[in-house]
Amino acid sequence: MSISSKASAGHFTILYFASASSYTSKDSEILQAPLPLSKLFETLEERYPGIKAKVLESCLVTVNLEYVDVTGESAGDQTIIQEGDEVAIIPPVSSG
Amino acid sequence: MESASASAQALREQIAATEARLQKLKDELAQVEASDAARYLNGLSLNGGPVTPQNGSAKWPLLNEEYQRYGRQMIVPSIGIQAGQLRLKSSSVLIIGAGGLGCPAAAYIAGAGVGTIGIVDGDTVETSNLHRQILHSTSKVGMRKAESAISYLKSLNPNPTYIAHTEHISPQNAQEIVERYDLVLDCTDNPASRYLISDVCVLLSKPLVSASALRTDGQLIVLNSPPLPPGNEAGGPCYRCVFPKPPPAESVVSCGDGGILGPVVGVMGVLQAVEAIKIIVEGKLAPSPEIQEGLKATPTSMLLFSALSPQPFRSVRLRSRRPGCFACSKDSGLSLEGLQSGSLDYVLFCGLASSANVLTPEERIEAAEYAKIREREHLLLDVREKVQFDICHLDGSINIPFSAFQGGAKAENDGKVPTWLPESLPKEAPIYVVCRLGNDSQVVTRKLKESGLDSGGKRWIGDIRGGLKAWKQQVDENWPEY
Repeated sequence: MSISSKASAGHFTILYFASASSYTSKDSEILQAPLPLSKLFETLEERYPGIKAKVLESCLVTVNLEYVDVTGESAGDQTIIQEGDEVAIIPPVSSG
Repeated sequence: MESASASAQALREQIAATEARLQKLKDELAQVEASDAARYLNGLSLNGGPVTPQNGSAKWPLLNEEYQRYGRQMIVPSIGIQAGQLRLKSSSVLIIGAGGLGCPAAAYIAGAGVGTIGIVDGDTVETSNLHRQILHSTSKVGMRKAESAISYLKSLNPNPTYIAHTEHISPQNAQEIVERYDLVLDCTDNPASRYLISDVCVLLSKPLVSASALRTDGQLIVLNSPPLPPGNEAGGPCYRCVFPKPPPAESVVSCGDGGILGPVVGVMGVLQAVEAIKIIVEGKLAPSPEIQEGLKATPTSMLLFSALSPQPFRSVRLRSRRPGCFACSKDSGLSLEGLQSGSLDYVLFCGLASSANVLTPEERIEAAEYAKIREREHLLLDVREKVQFDICHLDGSINIPFSAFQGGAKAENDGKVPTWLPESLPKEAPIYVVCRLGNDSQVVTRKLKESGLDSGGKRWIGDIRGGLKAWKQQVDENWPEY
């Protein structure tokens, strides 16, 4: 598994934690920027069929270490993932 | 041999009896000392007013032994005695779960001198716990975890009052247990208990320090801090604000299934103790007046620990309470009465893994039956992850991990013969699917049949009921159980 990758021009980095990492078999990868936040789950679903329902819908999502709302009531916001951004997909981990 | 083991047994019993006597003496001493100190603690407020002895017979609010015991932390400038040590001593902390998180958390909470410590756990100690659950030892296997933990903690620090709750937290007992404490640590291991504990902390206005860990990763978050009533937007977010939708039940992985590295969960438990001590010492068990007036909301963050990453710690900023949150918003649907009456079914909310009985009895075979037909031509497909297959597997089995059948990275090629199927295997030779416990094997069996590998019923495909665990019970008692 690649541990971390630096986004080149026109790209952003996406980090996968816990079950998102298991599902994609990756810790991170580089995707094309800009990408409207509202298209993020769709884009990932195309690459990893089934990931939306099985993983993404219960995840916390951050852009540059800040919480963003992808599916909730305020999801209407027009956030665009920009070149060089770091997006994190953080599923709940409940074991301990 | 026999007389040697008998005398060893006699010695063990003697040691146990002596240790019990010693513990009793220590408890008595602690009681005497505590009643001595109690007089000077009366009237001490959590928000830390000046401490004045009630009478002149003793000048000091702590026992001599306590000055020595806590000295190294009391001289830390941000701790001190008035705001720090005396607040710790007058506070009470509930640790829910005495496992990989709860053990290290409890050790530091007790070591720091928190006055009252409750431990909730309905489980008993198992050998597979010992690599990470550092309060339990080999001789405690079979003992109640809450009691085992407390016996360790008493020997570490006899000063606090310890309360064992030897049951699992449930909607029915949650209020009664939690309301006696100032602060809660969620050290449990499943989604249902995480939502329940968060809800009850919101209802009872208790700050909650929550952590979790799996494999080599962990998460830490301080919830409901400040602990303001539902509807007050200046309050800290709850678990439902961060994760409003539980993960699908079949995607939830336990430490027993996914594995856990001892020090990884240890780090997370130790960090919970740090956060708990911070909340107590900073006087944040109850919200400060300016927060109560809604002047400022404290930012909350989640700490992510990835032991294998070159950047092992990441902190992500969360927003405050989620508008419309089921638990802590003004539209809250929670109440203590609802909790008591069982109107909220947490297990149902988090879903039951549907794998219990995917197959019909005709599609399954007992391990003992399978042992009898091992000679015949067939394929044994072991769907455990490779690390488990490497520990032990049955001769002749091939390993295609369950995860490889889970969509995602590898798309299904319906109708095509999978590449792992040996060409030499006759078209009608049966395929037996096996896993550790007999759940994943059912799911894979179903998938294989749906993909047409059974040639419309000409080839029998089924699983071994109960997996390799059943193999150990029915066929080979020397089979390694991990």
